[in-house]
Amino acid sequence: MRIACPYCGERSLDEFLYSGDATVKRPDFASPTAANEFVSYTYERSNPPGMHRELWYHSAGCHAWLVVTRGIATHAITSVEVARDVALNEKPATKDSI
Amino acid sequence: MANQTLLATSAFLHWKPVKALNFTVEPRETLTMASFAAAKGKKDALAAAIRAAYGADLPKGSGRVEGNGIAFVWAGPDQWLAIAERKDGRDLESELKAALSGIASVVDQSDGRVVVRISGSDARAILAKGIPVDLDARAFKPGNVAITHASHIGVILWQIDDKPTYEVALFRSYVDSFAHWLLDSAAEYGV
Repeated sequence: MRIACPYCGERSLDEFLYSGDATVKRPDFASPTAANEFVSYTYERSNPPGMHRELWYHSAGCHAWLVVTRGIATHAITSVEVARDVALNEKPATKDSI
Repeated sequence: MANQTLLATSAFLHWKPVKALNFTVEPRETLTMASFAAAKGKKDALAAAIRAAYGADLPKGSGRVEGNGIAFVWAGPDQWLAIAERKDGRDLESELKAALSGIASVVDQSDGRVVVRISGSDARAILAKGIPVDLDARAFKPGNVAITHASHIGVILWQIDDKPTYEVALFRSYVDSFAHWLLDSAAEYGV
């Protein structure tokens, strides 16, 4: 499997570390049900067939965190995004956004 | 316990010169190096400050550029490695901290990393044995940079000219492992 890093180009799998599900969202610690939500956030994964959105870290390359959309049966990768851009797109822009 | 004094020694203490027709290895021991990263929201200000001070445009993506008496190597998103000859006491850490105050974080790399220059018509084939990046002349050219590994040793690699000449920056304590791998790779070329 090869991943096309947006900064470095296509690189071999051995330059990357898999770093988990990119779709889970850290719960609000102040919520009254925070304990249950953190159990779910930390441990519960449904592992459906088909496409997954995953965090990958280019550890032996440029050290960028990436969001990779990958078919877990075929290893086909349909998109590779910079995790910082994904995060910035999800929250409203602030004056000190890069 | 007797008083002890710490003496600076070469990172290449165990290296011996190698002789081969089409392959040379040269440790670059007289460098001053510093890495720097743009402060939040200061990318444009950083590029302008480097242009004003050194007459160089920082590579936005992977690449290496030369300025007045200095070279800038891309070292990751919004990060660069600055390299210059250490003569007349030149120290890039203090120089860049003064030039980039408030717009970039600067960290000395002069002792942390070393640079090895590898050159000759066999250099490409020798490096290709442990570096998982396409080094073919059509894919990797002078001015190109790759952050990758050489036989599992993390390196920043760039090409200088078409001989071809490459330079590799790696962490200082890995130089003996790197030399071991490099000489194994070079064995079939009469090194």
